[in-house]
Amino acid sequence: MATAKMKFRRGMDFRRAILPYLYLVPAFAVMSVITFYPLIYQVIISFTDFQTKDLRFGLASPELNFIGFKNYTDILTGGLPVQNFNFTRVLVYNFWWAITNVMVHVPAGVLIAVLLNTPGLWFKKVYRAIYILPVVIPPLVVAVVWQNIFHETNGAMNQFLTTVSQWFGATDPVRIRWLTEYTPPIPWLLPTGPLTLAYYAMMIANFWLGWPFMTVVATGALQSIPKDLYEAASIDGASGPQQFWNITVPLLRPAMIPAAVYGFITSFNLFAFVFFMTNGGPARSTEILVTFAYDLVRNLRLYGAAAAFSVFIFIVALIVFLVTNKITRATESYT
Amino acid sequence: MASVTFRNVYKRFGDVIAVNNLNIAVDDKEFLVLVGPSGCGKTTALRCLAGLEEISDGEILIGDRVVNDVAPKDRDIAMVFQSYALYPHLSVYDNMAFGLKLRKVPKDEIKRRVNEAADILGIRDLLDRKPRQLSGGQRQRVAVGRAIVREPKVFLFDEPLSNLDAKLRVAMRAEISKLHQRLKTTFIYVTHDQIEAMTMATRIAVINKGVLQQLDTPQNLYDRPNNLFVAGFIGSPAMNFFPGRLRKDGDKLLVDTGDFSVAIPAKYAKPYESHVGKEIIFGIRPENIHDSEFIPPNVDVEKVAVKVDVTELMGNEIFLYLVSGKNTFVARVDPRSKLRLGQQAQVAFDMDSIHIFDAATEEAIR
Ligand SMILES: Nc1ncnc2c1ncn2[C@@H]1O[C@H](COP(=O)(O)OP(=O)(O)OP(=O)(O)O)[C@@H](O)[C@H]1O
Ligand SMILES: [Mg+2]
Repeated sequence: MATAKMKFRRGMDFRRAILPYLYLVPAFAVMSVITFYPLIYQVIISFTDFQTKDLRFGLASPELNFIGFKNYTDILTGGLPVQNFNFTRVLVYNFWWAITNVMVHVPAGVLIAVLLNTPGLWFKKVYRAIYILPVVIPPLVVAVVWQNIFHETNGAMNQFLTTVSQWFGATDPVRIRWLTEYTPPIPWLLPTGPLTLAYYAMMIANFWLGWPFMTVVATGALQSIPKDLYEAASIDGASGPQQFWNITVPLLRPAMIPAAVYGFITSFNLFAFVFFMTNGGPARSTEILVTFAYDLVRNLRLYGAAAAFSVFIFIVALIVFLVTNKITRATESYT
Repeated sequence: MASVTFRNVYKRFGDVIAVNNLNIAVDDKEFLVLVGPSGCGKTTALRCLAGLEEISDGEILIGDRVVNDVAPKDRDIAMVFQSYALYPHLSVYDNMAFGLKLRKVPKDEIKRRVNEAADILGIRDLLDRKPRQLSGGQRQRVAVGRAIVREPKVFLFDEPLSNLDAKLRVAMRAEISKLHQRLKTTFIYVTHDQIEAMTMATRIAVINKGVLQQLDTPQNLYDRPNNLFVAGFIGSPAMNFFPGRLRKDGDKLLVDTGDFSVAIPAKYAKPYESHVGKEIIFGIRPENIHDSEFIPPNVDVEKVAVKVDVTELMGNEIFLYLVSGKNTFVARVDPRSKLRLGQQAQVAFDMDSIHIFDAATEEAIR
């Protein structure tokens, strides 16, 4: 009797234990097809010389050769059939691109949020509706629009600068080759490679794309800071700027650091924007890892090398994730 | 150290008049308590004094200086908020040191003052903690500590004890009183709890609907309330009120409530003569109604027939809820009283401690 009861209980336990996994099965099935399978497939072909001719039979292709780590060493030592290719340069530029973007977007987003949070400001809701706009416009559209703005002869930027320079007596139209000039304006800025004008143009364009998200996050966080902290600080003798630095900034930090991490990763892999605005040019100076990997497939048909490249990106992303995870945990909320 | 003066102060929020023609002169080193029901404008008055709200009209003075246009930080005040408003990202030490650092007080002086305040408040061991690691009572101490280290001329407290449990509240009440004696500074303290007000204040300002009702010592407020509101607000359980009329019977002056009449002793009758025949409200505190078997010596009493509705035994005293006709009222009687539920009995009103208010104006008749 007792044993029967126990068996029954054990059966219950087993069923209870397996239930969550049953719930997970559908999601897992979908993910297996669209995530895990390509992922594993890609890791496998990164050890081969996979090319267009192998597409038909895939891994069963008779002409497919396993070449070990050759793709990886080629990437690291510049052995790819790409002119002036230097993996470190692309990697460093990619990090630089992501970090500088975040370093601009976060402070700007916070500043704008603080300004828009001014009590008694008119039309607050209208501004909030407007600045959410860039968040919902596809990066492709943004990239194309800004590409036109920075066009050498017809772009709005040069026309604007022409008008301004005419006020100061200049007669020649401004013809800055924003997206095509290769000589870097500040040569020493990034020693591993040139930071061309295109980089600055993209910073401006991506700023337009990036700050609203930070402002949204900062606005939410601002409203959760109790008002009486500012009142206590004002009695304690803190001026407006002192209140900003001593209360607003530290109390925004728990919200802004995860947002900055998100912004970093987004910028780091901002494929569509880079691809459509400069396509990595001029002379691959604004190429980031994802656009480069894509280029290996599209132009050179080097599937194997591109796959190895993606594995590198994956490793970099993993490291970034682990590091930022540490950071975010270290800045958990104060309350 | 400074006096504080409210001179015809108004504060309006749109149509709401939160503070209505407030006139208070707080003496140097006084412990003034602003008390009143929720929403009566106590906090608003305090915030006006702190400079957190601009006043709509009138003048506020700290010392002899009009501070209407002086920024909060230059008013030389410190405030303890109801929510404590501790900086969550700073340690207890830094919370207390914050104001001093901003004022560029030398480091070792800051250290000396913070440690001294921490010793007074018994929070020396907590200096390295963050506010979230403290209990409510400890946070409250830190908030007080932050005020102390500034060595301000005036301390402002906005219901600092309302987030504490009953026992801790009683303990902190005593500590704040002690602090006042020790610091010898002006304290202005807001509460809606009349017991807090009675136990701590040197003077109490009772406010209702933004209007100052009475400003007096606790004892005077209790013994000689100016009007019906103050009489009902101060004291617990509250004073009993009986609507009625003043009637002359021969040369005796009677309070006639319709259900019973009591005679006003001749020695007190004079001020009431003018109200004979008029509607009045008769007030008497629960402790001035006695079981007729336990009447204290040397009091003028009038007997009233009642029925005992409810009894609450408190150990050291008994609360009787009594009914006389349409009136129900409370008596706080001697613990030896044998009056019990449902009994018909006679109770004795102590006629030396009665209050009579004009029914129309609700002002005390004196
Ligand atoms: N910022 C404001 N805007 C509009 N009305 C306000 C504002 N602050 C307070 N009031 C109103 O002013 C009146 C007084 O408010 P106040 O906070 O001073 O009350 P209180 O006496 O402190 O009450 P409590 O005991 O509940 O804290 C209330 O009617 C309140 O609704
Ligand atoms: Mg209040």
